[in-house]
Amino acid sequence: MKLKDIRCESCGHVNPPGTQLCQSCGKMIDNDYDKDKIKDLMRYDGSAVRSKTRSKSIFDKIWIFFTSIKVGVSIILAIAVAAAIGTIFPQEYFIPMGVDPAEHYQENYGSLGYLYYSLGFHNLYSSWWFLILNGMLALSIIAASIDRGIPLFKSLRNQRVKKHSTFFRRQRLSAMDEDAGKVDKLVDGLAKKRYKVREEDGNYLLEKGRLSRYGPYINHTGLILLLLGSMLRFFPGMYVDETLYINEGETEEIPTTEGQYYIKNEKFTIDTYEKGDGEVFQKALAEGSSVISNFQTDITFYENKSADIVGSAPDLEAIDESSIQVNHPYRFGSYEVYQSSYDNSQMKSMTFRLEDSSGNTVGDNFTVNLENPESTFPITEDINVNMRAYSPDFLEVAENGTLISETPVPRNPAFVFEVADGNDSELSLLQIMNSTDITEDNEYSVRFVGAEEHIATVLTVKKDHTIPLIATGFVIFLIGLAIGSYINHRRIWIRTDDGLLMAAHTNKNYFGMKKELNEVLASSGMEPVSDKLDVAQTDKDEE
Amino acid sequence: MASQLVTLSSTLLYAAFLLYLVALLPLGASIKSKSKKPEKIAHIMIVIGFIMQLSYFILRWVAQGHAPVSNMYEFITMFAIMLIAGYLITYYYFRSTLFGLFALPVSLLLVAYGSMFSREVEPLIPALQSNWLAIHVITVTLAYGILSMSAVAGLIYLLKAVPATEKSWRARFLEAVMAGVVIVITFIATTLIMQNVIGYQDDFIYQDKQGQTQVAEYHLPSLVNFEGAVAVKNVGDNNYEEAEHFHSGLNLPPIIDSQKLNTVIWSVILGTIVYGIVRLILRKRIIAALKPWSSKADLNLMDEIGYRSVIIGFPVFALGGIFFAAIWAQIAWSRFWGWDPKETWAFITFMFYTIFLHLRLNRGYEGEKSAWLAIIGFLLILFNLIAINLLVAGLHSYA
Repeated sequence: MKLKDIRCESCGHVNPPGTQLCQSCGKMIDNDYDKDKIKDLMRYDGSAVRSKTRSKSIFDKIWIFFTSIKVGVSIILAIAVAAAIGTIFPQEYFIPMGVDPAEHYQENYGSLGYLYYSLGFHNLYSSWWFLILNGMLALSIIAASIDRGIPLFKSLRNQRVKKHSTFFRRQRLSAMDEDAGKVDKLVDGLAKKRYKVREEDGNYLLEKGRLSRYGPYINHTGLILLLLGSMLRFFPGMYVDETLYINEGETEEIPTTEGQYYIKNEKFTIDTYEKGDGEVFQKALAEGSSVISNFQTDITFYENKSADIVGSAPDLEAIDESSIQVNHPYRFGSYEVYQSSYDNSQMKSMTFRLEDSSGNTVGDNFTVNLENPESTFPITEDINVNMRAYSPDFLEVAENGTLISETPVPRNPAFVFEVADGNDSELSLLQIMNSTDITEDNEYSVRFVGAEEHIATVLTVKKDHTIPLIATGFVIFLIGLAIGSYINHRRIWIRTDDGLLMAAHTNKNYFGMKKELNEVLASSGMEPVSDKLDVAQTDKDEE
Repeated sequence: MASQLVTLSSTLLYAAFLLYLVALLPLGASIKSKSKKPEKIAHIMIVIGFIMQLSYFILRWVAQGHAPVSNMYEFITMFAIMLIAGYLITYYYFRSTLFGLFALPVSLLLVAYGSMFSREVEPLIPALQSNWLAIHVITVTLAYGILSMSAVAGLIYLLKAVPATEKSWRARFLEAVMAGVVIVITFIATTLIMQNVIGYQDDFIYQDKQGQTQVAEYHLPSLVNFEGAVAVKNVGDNNYEEAEHFHSGLNLPPIIDSQKLNTVIWSVILGTIVYGIVRLILRKRIIAALKPWSSKADLNLMDEIGYRSVIIGFPVFALGGIFFAAIWAQIAWSRFWGWDPKETWAFITFMFYTIFLHLRLNRGYEGEKSAWLAIIGFLLILFNLIAINLLVAGLHSYA
C-alpha cells in the first residue's frame, strides 16, 4: 500500500504521508498526536515519524515497541529498580573471600539472605537478565533516536518561512500591531539578539539555537558508545584485573605480562597521624583510635631480559624505583598497579626459650623460621631441641602422630619439639596459647617468647582498554546533554500582509523568551507578547 | 591559630543559621504586604547569611588544609549551603520571594540535621587524599542544590493545586510528606535536647558483626538493643562497670544497628505525637494551614522553575556525581565503576531524572505530575545522602 500525501483540511497545504502537524498552519492533523496538549512537546511539523505511520509487518511491530517512550521509560525504571535490589544485601564481591556464599548469606541475613542468594541477586549486576535489560535499553535508544531524529532533521531543514495566518493563533506566544511598518525595527532588534533572519515576500522566520534540538541525539550517541564500550570487557586481552601478593623484600612476576615484568616489594609502610600533625586535629586524634595517614609500597620495577627465551631463568634488570600509594598508582605501558591492601596475618618466625622444672631459663633462646624451619636448635653444649613435626596452619593431629595443616600459609603454627639432653628425650606439642606434654613427667618445657610478622603488600594489577571508548561515550553524552539543556531553540514567525502578526515558539524556557521578546517589542514601540498559558491561568483563577 | 579559625568558622555557620531563621519573618511579611520593603530586607539578610556560610567553608578549608566535604557533617552542611545558592540563582532569575519562604526552611533543616554528626575537624584517611575530593563533592552538592529547587517548586505547586480537604490519595500523600517533615524536626529536637541539654546517656556493651566488643551510647531510653548487650557505666577512661539502665527487653541480631533503630523508633513515636498535637491545635490538615501561603503562587511559574532546575541540575549531577566520581574511583579504587551502594544509588538518582525528563518531554508530564516527580527525586537524593551512609556499609561510609 502506498502511503498518501495529506492535504490539510484547514489551510489546504499538502503535507508528506504520516504528517501529524501541518507544516503551514500547525493544525493537528492526527488527533492522537497531541491529545494531552503538551506544551513542551517536540514538534516535527511537516514530517512523519516512522513508528506512527507503519504498523503492518513484524519488523514494524518490533520497531514500534522499541521506539515507544513508554517502553523506554519502563526499561529505565526496571534497570533502576534492579539496581536498587542489588543494594539490599552486599554483593558477592563484598563478602569475605573464600567463604561459601550460600552459607554466608544464610548465616548473616537469615532466610531472606538465602532467598536473595538463591535468586542470584548476590551477583545481580553481572546476571544475564541485567545485561539483557541494558541491551534492550540500547535498542530502545537507537530505535527511538532514529525514529524521531530523522523527521526532526527533515522538519528543521525544510522549514517554510511563510506560515498560514491560523498558525499564528495556535502558537503560545503571539503579538500583533496594526502598523506593519514596525517590522524593520523589530527584525533589526531581534537580529541583534543573534537570531538568524530569513525573509520571503514580507514573511519572516527568525531562528536561533537550533543545535539545542540535536542535543538529545548527541547524548544518545554517547550512551550507545558507552554501552558498546562496556561490552568490550568480554573480549580477551581488553581487561586485566589481578591481585599481586608480595612479602616485604620479595620479588614477584606481574601476572599477564608473560614473565616480562617483575615487581619487588622493597618496603611496605603504614603511617598514622601523630599528635604533632596539625594542632587542629588534636581533639580528633586524642579521642579515637589512631587514624591512618598513608599506605605505601616502595617498589623496584624490573624487566626480564630473557622473557622470550623459553625455560630460561629470569634475567632481571631494574628499570624504575617508585612508591605506590592509595590515589597514586604506578603506571607502566597500559598497566596500572594500585595499592589495594596489606596482610600482616602471616608470621615470619617464632622465638622460644627452654625452661627447666624450677622455672629457670636454660641456655640460649632459639628462633624458628616458619617458611623453612631448621630441624635442630642447639641450646647448650649438651642440650638440643629437635623439631619432630611442624604444621604452618594447624588443623589437627593425625592418627600417625604427624600434624595436619589446613593451608601452607603460616597463620596458626604448631610444633612437636623434642628436648634431648643426651640421656632422655621428651616430646611436647606447642600451639599458639597452648602447650601439651606428649611424654610423661617432662623435666623441660618450651616457652613462647615472641613472634615476628611478615608484612605483605596486596597490589591490584589493572589493564582496561575499554576506558577510552567508555570515557569518550560519556563525554559525548555530557556535551549532548549540555547542548540540549543549556541552549534554547527559539523561532519567531512574522507576517506583514495584514498589519503585523508575530508568533514565537521555543523548545523550553518560555519565561526567558518572553523577557527577550518584550525587550525588543518595547523598543520597537509594540505591546508585550500575550501568553496563552497566562490567559488560561488568569481565567482559571477568576473562576 | 588554626583552632581559632575552626571556632570562628563554626560560629559564622551558627550565626548564618540564626539569621536565616529571622529572615523568615520579613519573607513571610513580603507575601502578605504590598510594600517591596520586607522583600528587600529578607533578601539582604539571606545574602549576608550566604556570605557567612561561604566564609565558614573557606575558613574551615584553610584551617584543616583540605576542603570541608570529608564527613557527614561537612557534606550535609555543604548541601544546605548549595541549596541557598540554588535559591539565590532562582531568585535572581524569577524574582519569586514566595519561593524563599519554602526553600529556606529546607536548608535550615539540613544544617540542623548535619550538626548532629561529629563536628570535629579530622585528618584525611589515605583514600580521601586527593584533589578529586573537593572537585567531586562540590559539583555533586551544587547539583543537589539546584535539583532541590525543583522539589521546592513542586511542593508549592502541590500546596496550591491540591485541595487541602479533599479525600484523595494525592492530598493524603502531600499531608504525609508534611508529617514526615514534622517527624524529622521532632527527631532533631529530641536528640539535641536529650544529648546536649539533659545529657541523657545509657551505655551498653555488645558484640558487633565482626565479634568485636563495642560500646553503644544510648541518648534515648532503650526500646531495642543488641543481642547480649550489657548495661554499663563509664568510670573514667576506657573502664566500664555494670549498671542498671532502662531496657524494654527487645534484642536484635548485630546485623541491625539497634542503636540507630532505637532513635528511629523514638522519632516516629514522638513525631507522630507532635503531629497529632499540631493537628489538634490547627483543627485541620497541615497542608490546609500552609495553603494560604501558597495561594499567591503562579502555578505556571512554579512548573517552569521545577522543570528548569531539573534540566540545569541534571547535567551538573551527571558531571559531578557520575563522571568525576568515576575518574576518582579509577584512581583510588582501580575501577571507575564498581556497583558500590553509594554509586548504585547515584546511578538510580540519575536514571530517575532521566525518566522525569522523558516523561515530561514526550508524554506530557507537566504541572502536578511533574511536581510529584520532583518531590520523589528529592527524597531519592536524601535517601542516598543519609540512609545509604548510615544503613548500608560500603566504601562511602565515612561518618
